[in-house]
Amino acid sequence: MAFMTIADRTPHPRELMLLSLVGAALFFGGWQLIAISGAVSPQTLPSPIAVIATAWQLAFEPFAGHTLIEHIVASLGRFAMGFGLAAVIGVPLGLAMGRFRLLDDIVSPIFEALRFIAPLAWVPFAALWFGTGIGGPVMVIFAGAFPPCLINAYRGAKLVEVRLVEAAQTLGAGGLRIMAEVLLPGALPSIVAGLRVSAGLAWQSLVGAELIVASAGIGYVMVQAQSNLAPAIVMAGMLSVGVIGLAIDVALRRAERLVKSRWGQA
Amino acid sequence: MKDIRFENVTKSFPTRSGTPFVAIHDVSLAVAEREFVAVVGPSGSGKTTLMRMAAGLDHPSEGRVRVGGREVTAPGPDRAVVFQQFALFPWKTVRQNIAFGLRCKGVARARQDEIVAHYLRLMSMEGTEDRFPHQLSGGMQQRVAIARSYAIEPDVLLMDEPFGALDAQTRTVMQEELVRLTRREPRTVLFITHAVDEAVYLADRVVVLARDPGRLREIVEIRPVREAEQWDERPIDEVMDLPSFTHLRTQVWRLLRDQIRPDD
Amino acid sequence: MHGLPQADPTRVPAGHAAAVALRRRPQLPQLQISRRVWIGLASLAGTFLLWWLLTDVTGAIGPHRFPAPAEFWAALVQIATDGYAGGTLLTQAWYSTRLVIMGFLVAIATGVPLGLLMGVSHRAEALLNPAFLLVRPIPPLAWIPLAIVWLGLGDAAKILVIWFAAFVPSVINTWTGVRGVDRTLIAAARVHGAGELRLLWEVIIPGSLPMMFTGLRLSLQASWTTLVAAELVGAFFGLGRVLDAAYRDINPPMIAVAMLAVGVLGALTTRLVAVAERRLIPWRS
Repeated sequence: MAFMTIADRTPHPRELMLLSLVGAALFFGGWQLIAISGAVSPQTLPSPIAVIATAWQLAFEPFAGHTLIEHIVASLGRFAMGFGLAAVIGVPLGLAMGRFRLLDDIVSPIFEALRFIAPLAWVPFAALWFGTGIGGPVMVIFAGAFPPCLINAYRGAKLVEVRLVEAAQTLGAGGLRIMAEVLLPGALPSIVAGLRVSAGLAWQSLVGAELIVASAGIGYVMVQAQSNLAPAIVMAGMLSVGVIGLAIDVALRRAERLVKSRWGQA
Repeated sequence: MKDIRFENVTKSFPTRSGTPFVAIHDVSLAVAEREFVAVVGPSGSGKTTLMRMAAGLDHPSEGRVRVGGREVTAPGPDRAVVFQQFALFPWKTVRQNIAFGLRCKGVARARQDEIVAHYLRLMSMEGTEDRFPHQLSGGMQQRVAIARSYAIEPDVLLMDEPFGALDAQTRTVMQEELVRLTRREPRTVLFITHAVDEAVYLADRVVVLARDPGRLREIVEIRPVREAEQWDERPIDEVMDLPSFTHLRTQVWRLLRDQIRPDD
Repeated sequence: MHGLPQADPTRVPAGHAAAVALRRRPQLPQLQISRRVWIGLASLAGTFLLWWLLTDVTGAIGPHRFPAPAEFWAALVQIATDGYAGGTLLTQAWYSTRLVIMGFLVAIATGVPLGLLMGVSHRAEALLNPAFLLVRPIPPLAWIPLAIVWLGLGDAAKILVIWFAAFVPSVINTWTGVRGVDRTLIAAARVHGAGELRLLWEVIIPGSLPMMFTGLRLSLQASWTTLVAAELVGAFFGLGRVLDAAYRDINPPMIAVAMLAVGVLGALTTRLVAVAERRLIPWRS
């Protein structure tokens, strides 16, 4: 089975690394060549070098009102608010729903009914209620980030052995203490996994919201660039979005690993 | 039918610390055609490694493994394996699992059905053709795994602690059935186990391995005694009560005992 | 027919008892199942009541912010019969659904094979990974402006973005599924004589199906989210267009109707995938 290495021996790591380098070179090289060759106009496909140069330039020269860095900060601020809100409301609620059947029965139908509405479908109402201020994007981000927080906290709470809760009860712990000292630590691995998914969705919803209803931020930059037919700026924006999204994901993956190593898997 | 030859086989695995871990050291062993050889040894003596090399799933660092005179390089249907965890395809029915190897060989559908029916009958599993593995008990699953390997009429049958995952009662039943099957359709069998009872009951010869490093300790002949006392004509509980049986079992056990450490 | 044993009328016929035993359903008291349903219904009814109270009755939430139930109903009727922003509810919904289906199908047709390729061959994975890693963290929505620059405001741009949104989860989940196949099963196939093609078709693909379906579900979700966004940014037709037009007209009831339509379609398509999953994966892995 020379081709299907999964059924045979894994190739040498050095060979794999070489192949990765070749792959990267082919990708960027190919892109650069196509852009330079003139087969496609630079108005349509800027070269990778042009994109990076543009990004660098925008970091210091304002476009659509602010420098790229200022736009990024604005985006991150909204992200933090929306994500933070979703976590602060979603996680405790999920835990409580996992613990108290009645609450689960009451909230679940409402949650399930609203859950399938794509987060961005909230944009019109968000715009109607908050204009282009910060409230709009935050609401949309919240809509996207909330479900994973809730669901994972709920699942995590359910996974915590009933025996542990009973043990705490027999030792005299009240409802709140049980939630904080038994359910929360027990559900933590699941919660952190949910936070990671939630952050990803939050970041995506943010970008989407800024495409439509914002006056600053990376999404706004990209939409403006699109109207001005400046794909290099659009791609610079995409690059920033990708890099930051990746950074957030990496950070949360580390947090996940930390929790797993100290607490073990739920 | 083919024979198995291990010729001065050594297998070592590289470790992080640099010094390689020697799983098997200079083992030479021959399993004759249609002979049933059981391999016993403490954990870490390399029993499974030996089997995997005969199967072609692993390769010796030194020495050679030959089956039917030809060196083993890759897995193939002439050397069927029965795994401890059954390894039945969960998405295939009993019939489809047993017929798998036959289809690889290109056997005609009608003949496939015949063969499947034959083995189901032999193993008292009629009526289960269309069930999925998860609907069967452990014992039944292992029967299907054995049937699957037997169906392709392999020249060599390699069995890696096939009854290890079963409970004691089912295990005993399976041992009896395997004896019936192998005496009726004899094949070259290499049977790995850590249960001495099982080894002595099933095999023509019992190979005892030692560990640190894994190597051949001694080989105990069973067949002459078994045939003289007609074990195959008697039920398993009676056999395991016979003085001839207990004598051989103790012999093997003694060879193993002084290798067992308190932390095992 | 003498000679046959008489059936004892006091004993339960063997067939029925066996059937009952086979079904092995956990014995939940009837009361408990109904309770959950009752509370759920009460909860929804309560929410509806609250909605009505806040809007129609007290006017605490003005009609320019959120529609009252009556207004919502009127808007629903309007779009269903006369239409809005260029088409009736059905035509608009179908337009959007069509785009989602097209993008989704192209995405799995390209994503699943790529995931399989990268899964079975470490070499292919090493070669293709850099490009994939670069493109992957970019949220699908971020492709919308670029897609519009390239392809304009028509359908093509939408399909491109939907394709991209659904592509990534398909690849990743298929890849994960392949790597997750029990190695012993692969060994079992090989020792029984399976060649590469048979191994792929009869062992690796069935073994990866559960994970693949998770990928399909995620892809579908992503497709809907992306479509709505793309249509909001700029479109001539579709549910997103309805949303956009309702927003510009400051027509909250219509906004709510469009949102509901999007939600219902999302739930329906997800349900379809779940049904397909149950039929294609009848075994428990």
